[in-house]
Amino acid sequence: MSKLIVRTINLSKVYRRGKVSIPALNNVNLQISAGEIVGIMGPSGSGKTTLLNLIGGLDKPTSGRIFVDGLDITALGEGELADYRLRKVGFVFQFYNLIPTLTALENVEIPLALAGVPKSERRERALNLLRMVGLEARAEHKPDELSGGEQQRVAIARALANNPSIVLADEPTGDLDSKSALALMNLIKDLNRRNGQTFIIVTHDPIVAERCTKIYNIRDGRIETA
Amino acid sequence: MFAWSLAIRNLRRRRLRTALTASGIVVGISMMFILLSLVSGMEAQTRSMIRALGGADITVSNSTSFRGGMGGGGPFGALPSPSTLDASIAEVISGIPGVYAVSPQFSFSGSISGRRITIYGIEPASYEIVTGGLNIVEGRFLAENSNGEIIVGNALMEFLNLTLGQTVSLSAGQGGKERTFNIIGVFETGMVFQEYAAYITLADAQDITGEYGVVTQILVKCEDPSIVSDVASLILSTVPGVRVTTPTAVIQQASQTLNTLTMFFATIGLVALFAGSFGVVNTMIMSVTERTREIGVLKAIGAKNHQIMKVFLAESLLIGLIGGGVGVAAGGILAYLFPMLTSGLFSVGASPFGMRNAGLSGRAISNIRLATPAITPTNIAICFSLGALVGILAGLYPAWRASRMKPVEALRHV
Repeated sequence: MSKLIVRTINLSKVYRRGKVSIPALNNVNLQISAGEIVGIMGPSGSGKTTLLNLIGGLDKPTSGRIFVDGLDITALGEGELADYRLRKVGFVFQFYNLIPTLTALENVEIPLALAGVPKSERRERALNLLRMVGLEARAEHKPDELSGGEQQRVAIARALANNPSIVLADEPTGDLDSKSALALMNLIKDLNRRNGQTFIIVTHDPIVAERCTKIYNIRDGRIETA
Repeated sequence: MFAWSLAIRNLRRRRLRTALTASGIVVGISMMFILLSLVSGMEAQTRSMIRALGGADITVSNSTSFRGGMGGGGPFGALPSPSTLDASIAEVISGIPGVYAVSPQFSFSGSISGRRITIYGIEPASYEIVTGGLNIVEGRFLAENSNGEIIVGNALMEFLNLTLGQTVSLSAGQGGKERTFNIIGVFETGMVFQEYAAYITLADAQDITGEYGVVTQILVKCEDPSIVSDVASLILSTVPGVRVTTPTAVIQQASQTLNTLTMFFATIGLVALFAGSFGVVNTMIMSVTERTREIGVLKAIGAKNHQIMKVFLAESLLIGLIGGGVGVAAGGILAYLFPMLTSGLFSVGASPFGMRNAGLSGRAISNIRLATPAITPTNIAICFSLGALVGILAGLYPAWRASRMKPVEALRHV
């Protein structure tokens, strides 16, 4: 078996709204091996997105630990977490979340710029990434000139920019028609095969689920292995 | 860095809002610029008036009045020759606390080509230090070794039909010699009566009059304009038999008024700018709120707080720079038009000595007009950087707010 890339130990998250505590995750112990495409499914409010946000270092757990690529990210400070997100994690969102004022190419360049890659190299690497997702010809287009499927592919190129260990996707096909969804999943499978990147995908979509190498179900903040 | 392109794109996307926000700064900056230019213009006028009045802070002369009779007639008769002081008094005065420099001067009534005028014998170097020198419009000023050289007032040049480089005969009247001098420079003061005069070196003046070792005036420059009257009374109590005049007293009053005006105008400008800066704060807070999700995305893909801050500071700095640039340009145009708008309002009225009017020569009376704005590089720099500063300051809080957003919450924002 290949090496563990993500490991959570007794991971819990409780949201507090005033005096009310809302448990979102309850003692989650999860192990994900490098190179997998993991689907996380479950009804809405079950804690899927919370889990993804915790692994991605966007949020802090109430208790428990998360190791990513051997690094205990629960021990990181705010600045270190930003650095972790920049270099180790790629995010793909349901609504693409490209910066509307920037072209496709510039959107892919952002993580590279944030990481301090010099401008000339940045351009070239971003173009390569767009080529990889089949959108080289659309490099100079703004998001509103691209279809949903194209925007999501740009988002994937952006997520892969700094060659992260894991790519986290929250309902990446949620806003796509089935044809685009299928194309996107084929792209993800292809990238996974070629680069060995680990994908963790929160989804409801059977098109996605069918193409994952492993599925976890979450219900009431607990993992149920499929 | 991408902060700049993000900022520029965002300002471009909201052109109207950017323009309106920047116009708040434009109003403040242009106002500030016009006012500063006016003050600079007045300062320049004041300076040239000080120069026109002789320039020295204090003029020390013999307490007994003029000797000899009145000089020759005519509309611009020269002053009678004043009583003299021992030249060594200059040394004494230069030792008095508060005195920055002294320059001895020997003025007498002489004649050029039969025309009686006032001749000033000066020490060129110290004269320039003490009075700021003459306004030379042609040729050059006297030097230490300018024996036989003379500087003539423009009005006199025109009156006697003299030209630069010409040799003139100068005589000191009774008891004095007659010598020839080469005209090496022409000066202008803007006041006709002052231009019926000529300057030679002190040595030449003493030589031509035969009065060695004496001077008629000692011109004094103080270490600071504010201590002039104290120094003047100190001179009076230290040196017996002298009289002091402070021809710049009026001007000093004026420059104090000018300072008050500057403060007043600057305050108005700052208040306008302050009001404009609220527009920037408001716009930036709006921009931050609108782009909450974008901030969340940027944070999710690894932007650090200071990088987010930079994006928004760049934006507000750009607004400030646009406001500053347009403000300076608009202010410059208005300042340029100002004299036409207020023509005659501020110009100095008729004076007993008769200002040169436009009919007499090409030089217009605007020479003496008070409120001619001066557009100086300093003012441009001040106003432009003030715009930038307001942009940055106004952007600080919104940018800080943006940088402190929690990524998860920002991403949830619709």
